[in-house]
Amino acid sequence: MQKTRSLLVSMLSAAVLQLPSGVLEPTIPDQNPLTPEKVTLGRQLYFEKRLSADGTVSCATCHDPQQGFADGHPVGVGIKNQTGARNSPTVLYSGFNEVQFWDGRAPTLEEQAKQPLVNPVEMGQPSHDAVVKAVSAIPEYTDAFKAAFGSPAVNIERIAQAIASFERTVAPFTSPFDRFLAGQKDAISDSAKRGFVLFQGKARCVTCHEFNNSFPYFTDNKFHNIGVAMKGNFEQLAREAQSVPGKGAETQQAALAHKPGVEALGRWIVTRQPKDVGAFKTPTLRNVTLTAPYMHDGSQKTLEEVMDFYNKGGEPNPNLDGGIRPLNLTKEEIGDVIEWMKSLTDETGGKNFDWEQLKELSRKTRAGEIVAAP
Amino acid sequence: MAKYTLPKERAWQQYLTERDGLFRTLPRMSRREFFRSAARAAAAATVAWNGIPPHSFQLVNVAEAKETPPKFTFAYVSDSHILDKGMNHRFIRACQKAVEDVNALDPQPDFVLFGGDLAQLGKPEELTIGQGILKTLKAPVRMMVGEHDWYLDLGEKWREMFGEPTYSFDHKGVHFVVLNSVIVEDYWTEPKMTPMERMLAMAQLDNPHGRPFTVGEAQRDWLKKDLAKVSKKTPIIVFSHSPLYKYYRPWNFWTDDAEAVQQLLAPFDTVTVIHAHTHQPLTNRIKNITFHGVLSTAWPWPYAPKGLPALTVQMVRADPFNQFDGCGWGSVTALESGQVNKHYALWDRNPMDVTFERVSQGPKGEAEQAAQFKGNVSWPSY
Amino acid sequence: MGRMHRILTVTAAMAVVCGVTGLVAYGDGPQHELPAPADGHSKVVGLCDGKTSVTVPGVAPGERMDATTARKVADELMGKYDEGLQLAHGGSEHTQRETRVWEAELKRTIDEGYKWFHSNELGTNGISCDMCHPDASNTHPESYPKFQTQLKQVALLRDMINWCIENPLEGPKLAGDDPKMKALEAYILSTRKGVALEPGKH
Repeated sequence: MQKTRSLLVSMLSAAVLQLPSGVLEPTIPDQNPLTPEKVTLGRQLYFEKRLSADGTVSCATCHDPQQGFADGHPVGVGIKNQTGARNSPTVLYSGFNEVQFWDGRAPTLEEQAKQPLVNPVEMGQPSHDAVVKAVSAIPEYTDAFKAAFGSPAVNIERIAQAIASFERTVAPFTSPFDRFLAGQKDAISDSAKRGFVLFQGKARCVTCHEFNNSFPYFTDNKFHNIGVAMKGNFEQLAREAQSVPGKGAETQQAALAHKPGVEALGRWIVTRQPKDVGAFKTPTLRNVTLTAPYMHDGSQKTLEEVMDFYNKGGEPNPNLDGGIRPLNLTKEEIGDVIEWMKSLTDETGGKNFDWEQLKELSRKTRAGEIVAAP
Repeated sequence: MAKYTLPKERAWQQYLTERDGLFRTLPRMSRREFFRSAARAAAAATVAWNGIPPHSFQLVNVAEAKETPPKFTFAYVSDSHILDKGMNHRFIRACQKAVEDVNALDPQPDFVLFGGDLAQLGKPEELTIGQGILKTLKAPVRMMVGEHDWYLDLGEKWREMFGEPTYSFDHKGVHFVVLNSVIVEDYWTEPKMTPMERMLAMAQLDNPHGRPFTVGEAQRDWLKKDLAKVSKKTPIIVFSHSPLYKYYRPWNFWTDDAEAVQQLLAPFDTVTVIHAHTHQPLTNRIKNITFHGVLSTAWPWPYAPKGLPALTVQMVRADPFNQFDGCGWGSVTALESGQVNKHYALWDRNPMDVTFERVSQGPKGEAEQAAQFKGNVSWPSY
Repeated sequence: MGRMHRILTVTAAMAVVCGVTGLVAYGDGPQHELPAPADGHSKVVGLCDGKTSVTVPGVAPGERMDATTARKVADELMGKYDEGLQLAHGGSEHTQRETRVWEAELKRTIDEGYKWFHSNELGTNGISCDMCHPDASNTHPESYPKFQTQLKQVALLRDMINWCIENPLEGPKLAGDDPKMKALEAYILSTRKGVALEPGKH
């Protein structure tokens, strides 16, 4: 029974999400098969500012289709202009991550979607019940919930499932590099081609920014300490970590992840293992030209800065990943790698979503022209 | 993935209770202790989605070991194999990294043992660089010689810089003996090998024409006399570069007169041998003697195809992408009983502890070994 | 004609015939002399054993066969092939000289590989392969091709050799046709003689 259901799930999902040949399907929870109705509802909820406590912040605020589904800021800015501690990751291709957040504390997109809703510096709701209440009070959603889930009942699981379903379709595969891989040899410049060779060789990138036909997303889904923001006194940080209130591991982890200073402990916050101190998840390189500034704290503004950081061997600290070492790349080689990274920028939404439409929706909801996405 | 056996809720409760325990003791900990103790705590939170079996959130604080309190701790840095190729060379940086880590310990260890093979090719420049790095250690240093230090000039420079390689000392009721256990039969004089040829021959671990390490009759005589003055109840700790037992002859993981040396140590109640050369976590027990190998700062050796002692829990194979993987430093805590707990401070991995309690339980069955082994998995897995 | 004269004439005639035959045979060493086509005009294809052949009706000598016909011809030849002694090179057995050359050349290549495996000159930082792989342990050549986690793609043994030279040894990659690469592979493979192939094994 289980096997049949999974097969059905993946067949349905395949109809909604189209992947280039040889690319493995993302892992979709059995309870949330991908359907067009869920994607539609999810898109509406994605732009819905009334999900936040004061009606000013939606998912699209920090994960803006106009800004590569990020926000152009070093760290997220939530309700009442409060800043968080971490850079907003892009939603592009996020459906292919094994876990979500820089420290991997959410195992699925569904779980991730629930956290900003109740984060005091993000959407600031006192509880998930408040979110459910807010959505239930909007009559426009009744039909959408019915179409997506079979009944108009609103609960936090359904909200998260719809948003996650929408996010899973944000996977374009329309970059010049994708065309190059498909056989169009002049899709990228010679410099970019050299950059790709360096990426796999001398620059030692591919071992963490995993890339192959089956998994073309430039991340190994693992956590590495490359030394960004490793300037704290960790004994002190650990003591602070214990004083953060919160019931249950999830809330506490989220709170720690947003406490400036403490958040630098990274993956350690989730696993409590010493080898994870200061380690953060390898992000994708796709659309990296759209998602500046870089690193988990947005501390590096340009790709040149990023390349120089790696070229010098990261930032020394007691827990620096042993794979990080000075690269001795020449200025030209760095230029080639950056040229190649530029070729990873998607041009349209491709077969899976309408990027122009989403940019329009973002513009309109920000300008207040519309309250919610149709 | 191994299946976890505790019902989910019970595991969760256990996890929460023990996690609170961790947070309560955090203020009392030094940075390094904090890292060490947090190692014993796998997050049961990850059980839900990663399916990793929950270990209990146990704080095995060395200072509160159940069966017998500790008397003192010493640290070790070993097998640095320094090459004179610029101060940015990875072997030099690794040695410095170990020294920094040991210096960050709070409280400081009573002393630091250097386990041998300070130089790679026995050159004076290499030994000098190494000495310079070790001089920055805050705690006092006890030196031990390895074959890479010795065979370029048969120990001339070593003696000049560090004194006689064979000696003993007493510390807080424990009698320490330091041996030069890399003596080999002369095979270089007759073919008129140059000093560097001899050194290179000794430096090649898998040298098919190598001769086995020995302690030798002269040192065994010295040891006999030295031990005659020591009460049988006094705990003995022997520092030796070669293992003082027979593990794998082709790689000289071997001491040819091991039985003779062990016999000299047989009358004593508690004996521990701390040895180097093997660059890997290694545990053995022969009669009254426990043997612990130490880590190298420079590179890990693979486990030998034969002869691995049954007590040893192997570390996962190192990833060559990571220049520090499988390497590190460590410490030894001498207990009131005279036995020791061994701590491996592996870089980029969770630390490994081999307590005497564990050693006295004997070799674990395969399933248990696998379970203990899983807690120490490093990334990436192959 | 005298009797002697007749014998001489016959002998001379035979000598001429044999001589002519000898000239034809001398050419490039032993050749597979294809018989005449069974039907008198079609293509004849010979097998490398120097003995077996088959006529291909409907195909002229020098004409290229289509894939189906070629397949049938190959099947027929292999069907007629007498397994017996595997002969090559136009039907002669391997000579002792040849066998000695093979062994000597292989040994030389493997020894060369042993030397490079233990040399710190492949890299620039003094590290040699035998430091992590004494006696070529943990090289597992029988597990290739496999997805190599450091490369994040499928690799052959030589790809991993080059990766190790570039990364832990910090040296320049070897070209595909570099004799050092051939030697290194030869040595590593020679240490795993008899071990079953297991591509993809991790």
